[in-house]
Amino acid sequence: MTRLIKIYLVSLKNSFAARMAYRSDFFFCCVLILVSEMLIPLMTMLIYSTGASFPGWNLAEIMVLQGIFMLARSVANLLFFGMVYNTLSHVREGTYDLFMIKPVSALFISIATGFEPDSIGTIAGGLLVTVLSAMVLQPPGVLDVLRFMLIFAFSLISLFSFAVLMSATVFKWVGNSRIYEIFDSITSFGNYPLTIFSRTFQIIISYIIPVSVIAFYPASALLGKDISGFLPVIPVCILFLILSLCVWKLMLSKYTSAGG
Amino acid sequence: MGRYQMSRPAAAEKIIKQIRVLKAVAFVTYKEWAAYRTHAMVSIFVGPVYFLVQYFIWNAVYEAKGSINGLTLEQMMTYFGTAALINYLIMDFADWNLQMLIHTGKYLTYILRPMSHIYFALSQKVGHRILGFIFEFLPVFLIFAFVFRIPLIPAHTGYAVISVLLGFMMMFLVDYCVGVTAFWLTKTSGIRRMFLLLRDICSGVFLPLSFFPEAIQKAMFVLPFQFISYVPVRVCIGSYELGGIALDIPQIVGIQALAVAAMLLFTILFSRLGNKHFTGVGA
Repeated sequence: MTRLIKIYLVSLKNSFAARMAYRSDFFFCCVLILVSEMLIPLMTMLIYSTGASFPGWNLAEIMVLQGIFMLARSVANLLFFGMVYNTLSHVREGTYDLFMIKPVSALFISIATGFEPDSIGTIAGGLLVTVLSAMVLQPPGVLDVLRFMLIFAFSLISLFSFAVLMSATVFKWVGNSRIYEIFDSITSFGNYPLTIFSRTFQIIISYIIPVSVIAFYPASALLGKDISGFLPVIPVCILFLILSLCVWKLMLSKYTSAGG
Repeated sequence: MGRYQMSRPAAAEKIIKQIRVLKAVAFVTYKEWAAYRTHAMVSIFVGPVYFLVQYFIWNAVYEAKGSINGLTLEQMMTYFGTAALINYLIMDFADWNLQMLIHTGKYLTYILRPMSHIYFALSQKVGHRILGFIFEFLPVFLIFAFVFRIPLIPAHTGYAVISVLLGFMMMFLVDYCVGVTAFWLTKTSGIRRMFLLLRDICSGVFLPLSFFPEAIQKAMFVLPFQFISYVPVRVCIGSYELGGIALDIPQIVGIQALAVAAMLLFTILFSRLGNKHFTGVGA
């Protein structure tokens, strides 16, 4: 374990060093990713400014939900989502073998070398939106914060499973950078309260593809709303993780080094 | 008189030659990208999924209101459906392509060719979007029309076609100008993202421009971005209004044509200026 942490830290240092070769571009990207992630909250504010609203959610509450969505996505981007691009580009070039001959698992190396410092700005932005919006409302109790942290861990598990599934897919679907769009479109359901969707879609995005766990349940916990629907989501998240790891293993075995 | 008779066939020959070049480059680009047609077909999944999210959002928002900013629920759905479809017809990546060529030094090979890079890039876009028309626009159009039952037949078909073509050109010119900044900045991923984000916000991709505060709407009226997507969408819907200015369809299409002409002139001048900074060395 210590060895893995050391490898991760070295990779992290390398990622920073590589990114700092174009410092101004790095800072520009940090700000821009933050601005682009702020787009959904901005659109929501414009909708609310017309006097319209999502039933059962005021503006501050919806900002907490979208701030948490931003936070979860940016933490995932920083820590492990770089593995998707890593796998995508190396499989396309036929150089993924370099990951496979290393004395640690290819999955770990893909994650460690995919560290993306650009997301730091968005983490700060996500935290700011969440905290500022939560402050407008009644401050959450200690128990609410603890419940939020627990559910947020499942949010990251769900995002990690998505990242593994996407990475696994590009072994077969070589060079398809539009895989991100598929992910973005599916997870876009998570930017809004579960209650606005039809019953069928609520079931799909909670108990088949755990999207609601990314922001809806953590936000509900922090806001002291009803989270009784979350319990059945826990095994779904765990099964989703197991499934993604199985798919990864299967797809990795099909890697041909051919490029594309 | 004699000079006039001599120059007319010469001009016609030049135009025919340019069209041949466009056809050849577009055909090669089409064939090149057709190898990745499944990538384009991702839109058949992504487009309707995004639309589904919009459908739920606006159904919830309209629950207590009959109309928002003068748009009914049906008009709002038509707006988003039309905007998504038009985006498949006008989308391009001239900015990314140009900055990559400059960054790697490959742009040098284009300077040596007997045609301008702008025209080459435009021809590439034509080929790429023909592919988009077949593998993205048509299937998603059928899904929107028959599954979501969105009324997608334009109110003024002729003006709608002209407006979409002008939007196609404006999108290309704006993106090309963003790519030209690489002559000075070399690596432009940051500035590209900023411009593309600004472009998408200001062209009404995410939300109709009528949702923005009036002062911003007025500023958007004079910027080139509304002519990319907002104007073609409103022309398809059959009414145009921005910042309190309501115009007839022929009027706004005329203004759009003038804006595209001005942008074309600016792009040519900006590109010439950028070329003077090119050293031929990759970074």
